[in-house]
Amino acid sequence: MAAVEGPMPGFSFENCIRNRHLEKIGHKAPTAYKTGTTIAGIIYKDGVVLGADTRATEDTVVADKNCSKIHYLADNMYCCGAGTAADTEMTTQMISSQLELHKLNTGRKPRVATANRLLKQMLFRYQGHISAALVLGGVDVTGPHLYSIHPHGSTDKLPYVTMGSGSLAAMATFEDRFKPNMEKDEAMKLVRDAIAAGIFNDLGSGSNVDICVITKDKVEYLRPFDEANIKGKREGNYGYKRGSTAVVSTEVKKIPFEVVATQVVSGTEAMDTA
Amino acid sequence: MSIMSYNGAAIMAMKGKECVAIAADRRFGIQAQTINTQFDKIFEMGPKLYVGLPGLATDVQTVAQRLKFRLNLYELKENRNIKPKTFLSMVSNLLYSRRFGPYFVEPVIAGLDPKTSEPFIASLDLIGCPMITEDFVVSGTCSEQMYGMCETLYKPDQEPDDLFETISQCLLNAVDRDAVSGWGGVVYIIEKDKVTKRILKGRMD
Amino acid sequence: MALADVCGIKQNQFSLSGSAFRSDTSELFRDVEVGSNNFSMPFNFDPVENLQQFQQQDSKVKIHFDHGTTTLAFKFKHGVVVAVDSRATAGPYIASQTVKKVIEINPYLLGTMAGGAADCSYWERVLAKQCRIYELRNKERISVAAASKLLANMVYNYKGMGLSMGTMICGWDKKGPGLYYVDSDGERLTNNLFSVGSGSVYAYGVLDSGYKWDLSVKEALDLGQRAIYHATFRDAYSGGVVNLYHMKETGWEFISRTDTAELHYKFQDEKKK
Repeated sequence: MAAVEGPMPGFSFENCIRNRHLEKIGHKAPTAYKTGTTIAGIIYKDGVVLGADTRATEDTVVADKNCSKIHYLADNMYCCGAGTAADTEMTTQMISSQLELHKLNTGRKPRVATANRLLKQMLFRYQGHISAALVLGGVDVTGPHLYSIHPHGSTDKLPYVTMGSGSLAAMATFEDRFKPNMEKDEAMKLVRDAIAAGIFNDLGSGSNVDICVITKDKVEYLRPFDEANIKGKREGNYGYKRGSTAVVSTEVKKIPFEVVATQVVSGTEAMDTA
Repeated sequence: MSIMSYNGAAIMAMKGKECVAIAADRRFGIQAQTINTQFDKIFEMGPKLYVGLPGLATDVQTVAQRLKFRLNLYELKENRNIKPKTFLSMVSNLLYSRRFGPYFVEPVIAGLDPKTSEPFIASLDLIGCPMITEDFVVSGTCSEQMYGMCETLYKPDQEPDDLFETISQCLLNAVDRDAVSGWGGVVYIIEKDKVTKRILKGRMD
Repeated sequence: MALADVCGIKQNQFSLSGSAFRSDTSELFRDVEVGSNNFSMPFNFDPVENLQQFQQQDSKVKIHFDHGTTTLAFKFKHGVVVAVDSRATAGPYIASQTVKKVIEINPYLLGTMAGGAADCSYWERVLAKQCRIYELRNKERISVAAASKLLANMVYNYKGMGLSMGTMICGWDKKGPGLYYVDSDGERLTNNLFSVGSGSVYAYGVLDSGYKWDLSVKEALDLGQRAIYHATFRDAYSGGVVNLYHMKETGWEFISRTDTAELHYKFQDEKKK
């Protein structure tokens, strides 16, 4: 056996018994970051448009005002995530690496159906305990595809989908204005308006609109695409003057420079000492 | 009562001009009872990389030691200092591996890139969702108060000395409205060529 | 009472049953009457049941009553020393650092505040009224024993209904300095030395090591202040400033109001010497 071993892969359940006990004696576990979220996607003439808001919340606090919810899966595929932020982040990262390996093994561009199956099988395996609600969109050899994937592993393949707490507001916009084979500008405007509907009408969603347009051989990741809420300019200056804080002790630690290369240059002439 | 406020802690980090700052309170208590007022919650993870761990004290120390262990293996393998962003992934992976039985810590990371000295700050939730920001991050029992202070006092591109005043006042005034954190503070200002650690004088009640 | 008659509601359905302090005034004027002894309640309202739902762990609406406090009082040769902190908390949030926890009932009576701030200030205000009425009727000041018993009896009527109060009634009467502990359970005790609140254990530690009957005034005041300071240092729910009072034969005197931050560094310097 090696003297030191790296961390084991996979989940560890070593703290579960302790944590259950702590909860039982009345200590509440804190809440993880959630993306209250409005995410949406549509298929248009040449590909798919994905959209997302940028708010992450921790209970009632806005934890991140500009978080990125459109995750990279492969060069031709992106995935919007809603639910527990860590779950959407880690799930998409994990599937992304599996797709990359798949690509290297087969020498082909991965298909959206493949990503969909990998995601749904993983989520089904965890029976909804990994709370990731996803909108998967991409373009492969068979054309543009758009899926919505629920935390328990069920999926839908539709021309327009929404997810997250703002999904109702966004879906209302889609139901009103979606039509097949839209032009790119029209499609982007529709997705923007759907996300904006979520931002303004759902408390769990907010800040900016991110948009990702995927076509056969190009991806446009626009972040931010639109700032729905521009912060006002601060007029006053609330700074503190230097020396206002009382300090008990100060300790300075110099950082040694890293020596990258050493070269000794010896003079060809004798030093001039005259 | 939440497990996060069992021991009490307040930690924040801020970006300045070619520098970053990370600050923490110094209390270790068991619910209402204050046990120690010189408790370390910020850990050195490299010459220009620090991590602050607010939360349940037992997990604070366990996570700090596990991170240091993983970091040592990384540096032995790679023979170079870790980049803050890589370290963020390391923390994220450690915490997410306990997704269904988490450590009760919400880490804050502050550092400069070992090569380019690019400032970097980030925070994570208890199951390892990374959050990188351009201004400030806060974590701990009085996060609402800290958000309030930082939103008003923070300015971008401050010199190290001004950044120190800003972060110190943000911390001290936030913990003065929280019963379970405070009892003095500590601030690290991380610059290209030096790290300055200052102990702050604060209210001791 | 026309509407009530039509509805067939009997008068006493609106009032709290079993109250010993029912006034004879019409129910309609009860709330208008100054210093009424009964609280009006909605029909079929059970305060015990209704308040409890907000105090349970998983309740969505949480009412945090103030609990953290350190208050103390002790009798000695030259009177009574009363010292209190000034912090009010709602959960871990510090709601105020400048609460007056000594209630000045009249020039010869002081009450301290621990538990529900509203409960303490309301009932001690009612007590002040009762004490004044006693003075007018009997042409002499009420004794500390009698005053504290009035308070204990009043709150006893509401036992089990969610009142939260732990108070010390301090005064000077014919018998000399008086000190009584009264709480919302109806307990009433007398002794030379009391401390109440979450920080009381720390205050007792300091008091017990320094307390003597023969303390000089200066020593006694210093002891009281020191005990509160040490409690604010150790107890998360106590803090702010130390308010210090001295009860003498001539009535109470407000001595000082000192920030604990100041005291901490003063005492720390003393240790170095």
